[in-house]
Amino acid sequence: MTGPGPEVWRLPPLASLLAAILLIACAEVGGASMVRFKLDLTRWARSVMLARPVVHGLVGVRDVDEQVIDEALVKFDAGLRLFHLHAEGMGLVIIATTMTAATLVHSDAGRRALIALFTVGGAGYPFGYLLWSALIPFYGIQTGKTVAEWLVWIPFGGAAIVAAWWLAALLGARLVRRA
Amino acid sequence: MRRPPLVVVFVALLVIALGETAGAVISQLRPQIVRYAQARVEANPKPHGLAGSAEYDLEITARAVYSAEAGLSFFHTHAQGLGPLVIFASTVTASVVRWRWARGALYTLFALGAFFPLGYLAYAVAVLERGRDAGIELAEHYVLTPLGSAAIVGLVALAVLMVAGRRRGETA
Repeated sequence: MTGPGPEVWRLPPLASLLAAILLIACAEVGGASMVRFKLDLTRWARSVMLARPVVHGLVGVRDVDEQVIDEALVKFDAGLRLFHLHAEGMGLVIIATTMTAATLVHSDAGRRALIALFTVGGAGYPFGYLLWSALIPFYGIQTGKTVAEWLVWIPFGGAAIVAAWWLAALLGARLVRRA
Repeated sequence: MRRPPLVVVFVALLVIALGETAGAVISQLRPQIVRYAQARVEANPKPHGLAGSAEYDLEITARAVYSAEAGLSFFHTHAQGLGPLVIFASTVTASVVRWRWARGALYTLFALGAFFPLGYLAYAVAVLERGRDAGIELAEHYVLTPLGSAAIVGLVALAVLMVAGRRRGETA
């Protein structure tokens, strides 16, 4: 996608493309693993939860405990599915947005910052769902979510959102100037 | 590969930015969104068919709120997916389609189609204001179907034009 003219896409840095491809590969492996190891993952999560009754508010009454465990398992599975979905999508978003920034942003500093924000933010964000899923059996749904939010979703997702609006504003301003 | 016009790239990026922001809003403001949706259902008892029976009304409200949340979630996922798709499809158009008028028509269809996810925002709002079934029908009829059709027609036309261009090249 390299080219000399202004009407031709420029190639984004190799690191950005590599991050996007690896992210898509992780998503596909994640999707396949969810299907292949669904029972093993569920059994593992269940055993970890049963070993931590206080964390999950288990009271020793089967009817009550099963409902609590089922809810946690649904969220555990949802986290894995959301990782698969977001990683597939963000891989393509990284390619499309870094290519746009590489081609249409003239300032060196701005271009580098945008590409870094899109690459790091886009590649890191989906792993928050994986972290959430991994934390649920150990710390419960809400605590796991809070940790994932502060460690991954807010910093990495925030970076991608800032970059998207920044780039959209730059392109919008250029369109207005042309008009 | 050739670059499509700036306006098409801008529209696609705008949709990506809206989609990313919607995801953050859904995640961070979920309780507020649910409370707002419940209040809107309560404020529109007739379209929702609320009967004054607590148990029945609770179920109706829950269904409407669920549909509104689903609309927001679909907006987020479709915007993230359709933004890059519009950039890639219009790049193929710019690089492969030989006829200028055809490229212009395809860019227009893709730019319109890029706004398809906004139909799910309309869906979320319409469900709360017009009732679940009427709201879904309204959003599907006036927003989702026309904009989604623009994207589909654009992609099919691109495929046809790619084949036509290739055949013409072979015969020439």
